[in-house]
Amino acid sequence: MWRGLWTLAAQAARGPRRLCTRRSSGAAAPGSGATIFALSSGQGRCGIAVIRTSGPSSGHALRILTAARDLPPARHASLRLLSDPCSGEPLDRALVLWFPGPRSFTGEDCVEFHVHGGPAVVSGVLQALGELQPWVRCLVLPMGLGGDQGASDWDLPAGSVPGLRPAEAGEFTRRAFANGKLNLTEVEGLADLIHAETEAQRRQALRQLDGELGHLCRGWAETLTKALAHVEAYIDFGEDDNLEEGVLEQADIEVRALEVALGAHLRDARRGQRLRSGAHVVVTGPPNAGKSSLVNLLSRKPVSIVSPEPGTTRDVLETPVDLAGFPVLLSDTAGLREGVGPVEQEGVRRARERLEQADLILAMLDASDLASPSSCNFLATVVASVGARSPSDSSQRLLLVLNKSDLLSPEGPGPRPDLPPHLLLSCLTGEGLDGLLEALRKELAAVCGDPSTGSPLLTRARHQHHLQGCLDALSHYKPSKDLALAAEALRVARGHLTRLTGGGGTEEILDIIFRDFCVGK
Amino acid sequence: MPGLRQPPPQLGAALGLCSSLTAWTQSVRSAGAVDPGVGRRLLPSRLLGSEVGDPPLKPVRILPSVVSASVSVSRKDQAGQATTLGQMSCNPSFGGIGKGHLMREVDALDGLCSRICDQSGVHYKVLNRRKGPAVWGLRAQIDRKLYKQNMQKEILNTPLLTVQEGAVEDLILTEPEPEHTGKCRVSGVVLVDGSTVYAESVILTTGTFLRGMIVIGLEMHPAGRLGDQPSIGLAQTLEKLGFVVGRLKTGTPPRIAKDSINFSILNKQTPDNPSVPFSFTNETVWIKPEDQLPCYLTHTNPRVDEIVLKNLHLNSHVKETTRGPRYCPSIESKVLRFPNRLHQVWLEPEGMDSDLIYPQGLSMTLPAELQEKMITCIRGLEKAKVIQPGYGVQYDYLDPRQITPSLETHLVQRLFFAGQINGTTGYEEAAAQGVIAGINASLRVSRKPPFVVSRTEGYIGVLIDDLTTLGTSEPYRMFTSRVEFRLSLRPDNADIRLTLRGYKDAGCVSQQRYERACWMKSSLEEGISVLKSIEFSSSKWKNLIPEVSISTSRSLPVRALDVLKYEEVDMDSLAKAVPEPLKKYTKCRELAERLKIEATYESVLFHQLQEIKGVQQDEALQLPKDIDYLTIRDVSLSHEVREKLHFSRPQTIGAASRIPGVTPAAIINLLRFVKTTQQRQAAMNESPKTDQCLRNADRLQERQL
Repeated sequence: MWRGLWTLAAQAARGPRRLCTRRSSGAAAPGSGATIFALSSGQGRCGIAVIRTSGPSSGHALRILTAARDLPPARHASLRLLSDPCSGEPLDRALVLWFPGPRSFTGEDCVEFHVHGGPAVVSGVLQALGELQPWVRCLVLPMGLGGDQGASDWDLPAGSVPGLRPAEAGEFTRRAFANGKLNLTEVEGLADLIHAETEAQRRQALRQLDGELGHLCRGWAETLTKALAHVEAYIDFGEDDNLEEGVLEQADIEVRALEVALGAHLRDARRGQRLRSGAHVVVTGPPNAGKSSLVNLLSRKPVSIVSPEPGTTRDVLETPVDLAGFPVLLSDTAGLREGVGPVEQEGVRRARERLEQADLILAMLDASDLASPSSCNFLATVVASVGARSPSDSSQRLLLVLNKSDLLSPEGPGPRPDLPPHLLLSCLTGEGLDGLLEALRKELAAVCGDPSTGSPLLTRARHQHHLQGCLDALSHYKPSKDLALAAEALRVARGHLTRLTGGGGTEEILDIIFRDFCVGK
Repeated sequence: MPGLRQPPPQLGAALGLCSSLTAWTQSVRSAGAVDPGVGRRLLPSRLLGSEVGDPPLKPVRILPSVVSASVSVSRKDQAGQATTLGQMSCNPSFGGIGKGHLMREVDALDGLCSRICDQSGVHYKVLNRRKGPAVWGLRAQIDRKLYKQNMQKEILNTPLLTVQEGAVEDLILTEPEPEHTGKCRVSGVVLVDGSTVYAESVILTTGTFLRGMIVIGLEMHPAGRLGDQPSIGLAQTLEKLGFVVGRLKTGTPPRIAKDSINFSILNKQTPDNPSVPFSFTNETVWIKPEDQLPCYLTHTNPRVDEIVLKNLHLNSHVKETTRGPRYCPSIESKVLRFPNRLHQVWLEPEGMDSDLIYPQGLSMTLPAELQEKMITCIRGLEKAKVIQPGYGVQYDYLDPRQITPSLETHLVQRLFFAGQINGTTGYEEAAAQGVIAGINASLRVSRKPPFVVSRTEGYIGVLIDDLTTLGTSEPYRMFTSRVEFRLSLRPDNADIRLTLRGYKDAGCVSQQRYERACWMKSSLEEGISVLKSIEFSSSKWKNLIPEVSISTSRSLPVRALDVLKYEEVDMDSLAKAVPEPLKKYTKCRELAERLKIEATYESVLFHQLQEIKGVQQDEALQLPKDIDYLTIRDVSLSHEVREKLHFSRPQTIGAASRIPGVTPAAIINLLRFVKTTQQRQAAMNESPKTDQCLRNADRLQERQL
């Protein structure tokens, strides 16, 4: 009875939306029995990465990736060569474990792939799993597994085995819950966990969608939503009202163009999409608090220009660093203040945007200037808003750093007593740096050690999975035949895209219909 | 009403939007109900006692339909009988795209209006014929007089049913039943003359009458429909009880004298041949296609735009901020929003011997004299005579998030709402709610669990789920685009989806209908499995059925079901190719057509079924009804989520998850709460009763085709 529960939570997890079932209509993912996969080791540097799957197709996936007819013995580690099912290219020599349900973590059939931890290998395996969609299987099965026709699981008609898809936030845990593998005490933390994962995935998705890819995806989603709205209008109103000539033809042209664009992008994206991996640490604070000095100090190189003039840093400066053994993408941002020139305002806007995406915020204040309006304002807005959220409310972490401790007189009154927990630092003398690094290490261990923080590799696999799903659905769009069936293809395609971009409710469709057409009696 | 001609009785009531008495007809039979603002006819409670639980009446038949009821108070006592029972107050048509689906579903639950339409139509046409059977829109022009006659015959001849007319002024409220939520319980109504009528449950179907206000030009009159008094006392009572009230507007076009129109220069639309009936129980309709009446099409022109734009200052309705429907706009808003276009005007007959034409698309609120001026600018209408002007109606509705999916109010026990009071528009939407309210009003009296249609089971479910979880800010109309499982919820299979459940869970379906649906279901299942079992190579299929465009390069065997998916193949051609065993499935035309439809959608239906199961499992997880979201401490919820849950009071986890702003984490917390509560209850009474949800889940799965 609990099995369906992941569906709604997963759907609800997809960011701002009007109606979850509605938007997911026809999208491949929801529905009991889908098989999911995820990277379940953290993104710190590690020799071995663990990729897990759960669901009825786990066994098929294992057989296909290992190009074997038989499954390895249950619950035994076996060494196998994994290769890409499409190209046959070897991916990695890995330890695989087969856990047939119900004796598994989730109670479903599960597989664990212990692969070598490099991004290329992990990415390759994730991608291979994501490609195991029904239509791919149809191609693969007769060749690789023709002899298996007698085996019971292959008797299912083609297309009736749901494909694999990247897991939504907390989905493994939810399945375990659904199958009675967790007791109620264990579930206590589940809501918090799901919230944290949702938030982390949202931030990760924001980061990956920041820039060109995001722009493309939103554009595609917009085109597709409009095309769907026009087809829906043609279905709901075409006969009784005089929709303009050529509504369908126009939608058809747009869908075909979208197909071409998506196809080209997917062929291209396989090679060179830059991964922005590592924990995202963003340094923020009012102008002239010493943010750029801290960035330079932490990265041991002059990343940012430092000057006594407030507002020196205007753009977001990003540098990959190794902090206490964790891969980190450190961002220096413009000091937050209002009412300055347009260029700096843009910098402030970007800084705020970047803050949204941060795993860890280094909030910086001038220890000698705590009473100033800009400091107070910063404390009241940024620090208080992150701090006020209970840990369950946000997985975003924040360290408050008071810089320029060298300016404080040793005997003078300490900083304001109402300040939240903070660290004292002098970028000038280096005093307090050890303390900061120790605090950073603890925070980063928490951020990176948690597999849920949304690995960029998984995010990329998700992108690819949904873009491919969208493209495949579009190929089923044949408006010359049954139009309801054609519209369904567009609904499925749109469902895939809006997983990436958010949105996707029925209201959006109706809004477009009533905006573009004069319909109704 | 100054400036208005008082129309003859049979015409006068044809204004405003329909008010739903659908609910009324059902509830009078089983529970006792009231149609307050409008029909004012009640069932004395003493009759109920004999009816509720009366064995010979089981299963209780339901006769919902759109029986719009409007008798002005002055006209009420003339005949002393139901003068407006069955009055269609707006357009002279039923069905359409999406609405036709509702008609089939109402019929599948043995509702009345579909069958009455099969006896009263004058022009039957299925819309969207070329777009796929999932979105076919059954529609018909209906003869107002015939509909009313036939409906009255059916209602007034219903055994044990007493029809009484009277304006309802107030509700009789008593102490709540402790085992249910709600701050009081309704036990009857007070009429305008001070007399009281007691009832076990009450359904309000107020139509546009709650503080109804008619607008023509700059004139406004309190009225629910032209010539009918609005309900003001009742509106005040509801507001005092704490219901959140909103305001909506709608409109109706003028009526034109038939003999003043020059049809000869207009495009003629002829009805389908053969006619497709609305009801599953009818093979055909009462009238032959060649005897049916045509409709005519004309268009507006720039002169119409000009008159609208010049006279905006005389048009208070258009300027009002009250929300009107975006899809059923007045000609004024069409001109304003889409200038310089020609807009369609359908000239529809009002009946076989009616002298009136209903110009669909010309809903307007201009001053009466300008209406005629504008109409005479239109081609074919140059000499048209306006018999009754168009007008706008503004009326109260109650935020539908205040009712449960069984349409009972959260605030007042045993009080049900159906139709425009819930913010919907249209006869079909009203009928759909009427059936559900009627069934549940009756089930409530006999202390049985409510009958709820899920959004995975029917358009009725989508309609009610949308209303009760999201509310509405404009008159809500059914569209197929609102339905996520559109390919599964088709007009052809409404009986399989609903009739069997209606029989078993609600007792609202006649034995004969039930048996027919059972036969159809098993025949379809058998047919599909036979079609799956027949496999030939594609070249053999090509030989057997030369017209099929199958590619012969495929080496795998092809199932007969897959061949049937080709547009050019139907059961007849398939049976000709493989007479044994397929011939017998072509004997019943409906069965053969439905097998073809099942084949068309087979591959997509499989995926939808998976999804539907997921949704249904969530919907089987019921939230406790008495949970106080604002104060409960065992669940960690944000204040915002608490407020939303408190207002909408979702009944299941599925419904909660569809409320905007309810986070996944909140859902998990709710689940944990439900589970803990269940365990506590189980420990307390150590009976298996708490597995109710589990059983519900099983039942839901059984229900799947």
